[in-house]
Amino acid sequence: MSREKKVEQYDVVVIGGGAAGMTAAIYAGRARLKTILIEKALVGGLATYTNEVENYPGFPNSPKGEDITNLMKEQAKKMGVEFKLTDVKSVDLCGEEKVVETFRTTYLAKTVILATGGRPRVTKAENEENYLFDKGISFCATCDAAANTDKTVVVIGSGDAAIEEGMFLTRFAKQVIVSVLHNEGKMDCNEIAREAAMRNPKMSFVWNTTVKRFEGEGHLDTVVLRDLRTDEEIPVKCDNCFEFIGYLPNTEIFRDQVKMTRSGYIITNEKMETNIEGVFACGDVRDKWLKQIATAVGDGAIAGYAAEKYIAESETFHNVILQKDKPGLTFIYNAVDAESREFLIEIEKIENHFAGRIAVNRVDIYKSSGVADRLNVSEFPAVILTVEGKVRERIIGQLDAVEIIRQLDSICLECR
Amino acid sequence: MKEVILDCFGEACPVPLVKAQNKMKEMAVGDVLIVQIDHSCAMKNLPDWARGEGHNVEVEETSEGEWEVIIEKTK
Repeated sequence: MSREKKVEQYDVVVIGGGAAGMTAAIYAGRARLKTILIEKALVGGLATYTNEVENYPGFPNSPKGEDITNLMKEQAKKMGVEFKLTDVKSVDLCGEEKVVETFRTTYLAKTVILATGGRPRVTKAENEENYLFDKGISFCATCDAAANTDKTVVVIGSGDAAIEEGMFLTRFAKQVIVSVLHNEGKMDCNEIAREAAMRNPKMSFVWNTTVKRFEGEGHLDTVVLRDLRTDEEIPVKCDNCFEFIGYLPNTEIFRDQVKMTRSGYIITNEKMETNIEGVFACGDVRDKWLKQIATAVGDGAIAGYAAEKYIAESETFHNVILQKDKPGLTFIYNAVDAESREFLIEIEKIENHFAGRIAVNRVDIYKSSGVADRLNVSEFPAVILTVEGKVRERIIGQLDAVEIIRQLDSICLECR
Repeated sequence: MKEVILDCFGEACPVPLVKAQNKMKEMAVGDVLIVQIDHSCAMKNLPDWARGEGHNVEVEETSEGEWEVIIEKTK
């Protein structure tokens, strides 16, 4: 029995089932869009690794991250979102129809929302996997600092994140011991952070070291550092360890299509739009400042809403602007521009002149430049004449009603 | 390429995993194994194992509390 790959059509394909992806799916589903969410492992994302979420508004009883994301999943299902648990193998996002391939199915979508998140980079030292997340190795001071009140913690790394998060930890912890790869006094962070850290009485540094091994019964109690010059082992007793040696976004399969920062984060604007029309990104995968459930949810809401607007605009564009019944006139203007507004009167005269023989559309770019972008118009006001759904003439800048009527007359003649 | 269905309804961990591991040994590269399960722990350990082995994996919730773990043998 051989098997052919299924092809399925969706309005929205969300890749990634963390807080951002699920929120985007909830918004898309609620807008009655046919939506599927594809997740490679377990729904919930990085939040499921957190045992107590204390700073997500609306949940004062410090639930497990998983409890919150399970509720998100339930809510998305209620909105009609389908879930598929599989890896995305490849994507082709550049066309108007987006293609998302899993190993059994080809999904064709009007929009794709990238919410693949990231993962903290780890040291790969011995026994590290035994203590990750709730067993002593953390990656987020904002999340876990309060749990370290009056405790001793080890910080790995000396970049901006390591030193700034380390300084934040000193407000709670009794002692913060920082393992730095470099010679005494040298750090990867900015100079202001470095000076402040050196002055902080709760902070101490172990220079020229990396992590060799993690130890402890059930929970971490010792980080064994290695001196890079002497190879000597330096055991450091602690309650918890924070690793801040970078974060790896899950964007390998989007490379060469979506614009990213040098470290692989997807660049978006505030509407979560990427460089490709109809492709949005949200959550930790995006180049952004603060990575939290709360900000992921905010991103997701915008991405879901933006996808809905994009689809609505596409439909308007194809069914109204590029209608095929009659010759078309589309007036693109900016409502805040007086000259543009004045020409609206001329447009009305033209419309009356042709008495229903042409289809007239007025597009105000003040609200959205989507239609103008699709028509490759960047200067306003502009008049676009179409015949059978194709652009015939672009008149940009100086508009002359008489000349427009003359051109439409000749178009109407040939259409007869 | 053939497709094999393995009925593990009503079976608790680690039975579905062991059964799937044994079945996979008999199969050729490109074959697809569909393991039907209703024990939620198999929904985790079975895909985890198969992914770790480098196979293609997809999980489908066929109805409330019932899943198909679809594994394509890649090597």
